[in-house]
Amino acid sequence: MNVFPLKFRQWDDGTFLFADDAGGFFRSDETFLTRYAKDMLTDDDFSFLEENGHVYRQVADYSFNAFMYRWAKRLYAPGDLDYVIFVPTLRCNLSCGYCQVSRVNENTPGFDWDETTLQATLKFLDSLKTTRMKVEFQGGEPLLRIDLLERVREFCRERFDEVEFVVCTNLHQLGTREWAFLSANDTYVSTSLDANASVHQRQRTITAERTAEFFGNLRRAIDILGPSKVSALPTLDVRNLPDPRSVIESFTSFEMRSIYLRPVNYQGFARKQFQALDSAVRWNAYHAEFIDAMIDYNWTANEPVEEYYFVHCLRRVLRSGHNGHTDLRNPNVLGQSYLVIDHDGVFYPTDEARMVTRIGRIDLSMGNVRTGFSSVTVDALNAEATNNLHPDCVHCSYQPFCGVDLIDDLSRYGRIDMPKHDTDFCRRHTHLFDKVFELIYSEDPKVRKSVAIWAGMPEYDPAIAKVHA
Amino acid sequence: MIDLRLKIEPFPAVEPFVLRLRYDAASSEDDAILVDREAGRFEFDYNGFSLVVHAPDGMDLDGDVIMVLPGQGSAHRLVRAASPHNTFLVTEQCDQLCVMCSQPPKKHHADLFPQFLKAVELAPDRAYIGLSGGEPMLHREKMFSFLEVAAAARPDVRFHILTNGQHFEEADAGRLRGIGVERVLWGIPLYARSPEIHDEIVGKPGAFERLQCSLSNLMLAGASVELRTVVMRQNFSELPALANYICNRLPFISVWALMQMERIGYGRMNWASSFMDTSSDFSALKSAINTVCARGIEAALYNFPLCSVPQPYRHLAPSTISDWKRKYLGSCEGCGSRDACGGFFEWYKHDEGFRGISPL
Repeated sequence: MNVFPLKFRQWDDGTFLFADDAGGFFRSDETFLTRYAKDMLTDDDFSFLEENGHVYRQVADYSFNAFMYRWAKRLYAPGDLDYVIFVPTLRCNLSCGYCQVSRVNENTPGFDWDETTLQATLKFLDSLKTTRMKVEFQGGEPLLRIDLLERVREFCRERFDEVEFVVCTNLHQLGTREWAFLSANDTYVSTSLDANASVHQRQRTITAERTAEFFGNLRRAIDILGPSKVSALPTLDVRNLPDPRSVIESFTSFEMRSIYLRPVNYQGFARKQFQALDSAVRWNAYHAEFIDAMIDYNWTANEPVEEYYFVHCLRRVLRSGHNGHTDLRNPNVLGQSYLVIDHDGVFYPTDEARMVTRIGRIDLSMGNVRTGFSSVTVDALNAEATNNLHPDCVHCSYQPFCGVDLIDDLSRYGRIDMPKHDTDFCRRHTHLFDKVFELIYSEDPKVRKSVAIWAGMPEYDPAIAKVHA
Repeated sequence: MIDLRLKIEPFPAVEPFVLRLRYDAASSEDDAILVDREAGRFEFDYNGFSLVVHAPDGMDLDGDVIMVLPGQGSAHRLVRAASPHNTFLVTEQCDQLCVMCSQPPKKHHADLFPQFLKAVELAPDRAYIGLSGGEPMLHREKMFSFLEVAAAARPDVRFHILTNGQHFEEADAGRLRGIGVERVLWGIPLYARSPEIHDEIVGKPGAFERLQCSLSNLMLAGASVELRTVVMRQNFSELPALANYICNRLPFISVWALMQMERIGYGRMNWASSFMDTSSDFSALKSAINTVCARGIEAALYNFPLCSVPQPYRHLAPSTISDWKRKYLGSCEGCGSRDACGGFFEWYKHDEGFRGISPL
């Protein structure tokens, strides 16, 4: 019998996690590692490994094919372009210190789509093969150009069978026309809620009056649109982190139960203001504390909460083909299934690529909607966008669950060939997967309750946490 | 119980033929148009011949596709236009003898593929048609040809085919893809991870091994499979091991259907030794379901009355008993979940059935 190669990682308690390239995993100890390394596996070892899909007898037998399927299913294969992010204006009526998008003042001319760009964008949409389309309006504050949003939405509803619109808005200065736009069945609101009222005011709204305006509008949005149509992200300053319980309390008071924690991003204006470069250690500790606070909360709450990205990572550990998040894919092929069109009509593969370009790191633009694609740089990046063969990743137990984010590497280090374990991406994800496995293997009933909820199981079952004694 | 046959007055048929009943206008030469209707008697004009159907007054026959057989006083309702449950019985022959079989095999086979093809052509828009047996794939070549022609004639129609999975070859991949892997859902039973237990249940030595081979071929072809496991005393404690096997060896399946027994055919004969009262002990099902759910494989409970399922698992139990063979118990009268519940098989016998159920 042949064993599919096992990668291993030692935990604090001395035991080891073993994982194969298809993401099958189990916990065992050093004596097993020794037997494995010295080719002295016992019949018991083989029977455990066979029962759990880690061995095959010959190439193309049933075990081999099933392994091949699970391995392949973990790879991300981009589909037809069916998701676009539009930046109809870069102007904004807030000026948050950490702004990630290098916004411009509300009255600055020349940072909006002009009629030619709008027409070219509609023509571009019309040329696509897909029958489904998701449009995300970003900015700046996109509702400052409600007229453009209306025209794009109207066009898409005519052109595609299924449509979904997301407006990323700060929820300020909303009039009848804006509320009417947001109230449509196919339209969703994504906003920022920085932890709680005091943090939100410090980081975003500055004055009590504007803070009250935001919370009033958020309440109104929840009331008239419904909590399922409104989401909010907290952006947190690593130097000044709020008590996790206050964040959970603040979000649940608006019936928002999926919280996507984000540290201030080291890009755009934020780069000048916050030295967030080596904040990974502090952030990781806070994130773990936050997950623990959620586990405590869920133990007694009627309606559970989740940290969106942590749940995504947990599911990527347990499942093949869980590729729904653009930040964590392998290979992370860019510029194909989704695209950004900036205020000047320039294509970018992601919103982050737009910012990296803006700060002058490297030009990651992919042409212009008025003149067409040109993707030489992004094609070159895509050729490197896999972790399967990366010398730093091939021995990592977390490789099958993890991904690649070359744009984050470029943004932080100006290059893509940093040793992986020195990158923020690797440090954050190693920590996240450590936490995921800590929870999967926990015997604490509180933890097990949350793991079951987050993993989508009706109840926890130890069968998901294989141990080979 | 809904009758799948309609009484007809003598009609000069020389071979089995298929036609569609319409109330208003004909859109095909195979349409019969309603010309007269009174108290349970529907008279249709079929190309100049009078076809008289007897059916209850409230019954809606418009769009139904029926098959008339020579010398028979009743017609088969092949497609009931208003029902999602339409199944063609391809054959009653089978090469397995499962202990719970609801439709024990017969030796004789009458070939009706041309008639089924006509029925597909006449079926309503986007119909989902079941093909069952016996074992339909005993007639492999005819089944593949039927599916190929039907797929070309009616790209909107999809099929759900029940097969024991003993007859798929590696070389079938091209034909399966040609027919369309999204168009056909193959419902295939697997009862245990242990070859001995599976073979014992299906009454055929070597069946497990052959099934593994077929499933591997279907996976490589990209086919869609609904894996079906009837829950019985024989395999109940084995379900968690089977769940683990599915996660590792059959990760491609569309859904794992865990099914309660149907008390008819061999199922009736072997009820006492096979029926597992899952309302009294759901334990192995819990573990099995949790395992596959965590791994992202969809699980479903078919033919489980909602009150027999613990609350955290109830959302996995859709109403699956076909309308024509479904019943409710007297005690269901006061139940608040009746509308969402598939109830019981017509032939379910409560004094030999679930001990732990009561209205929700």
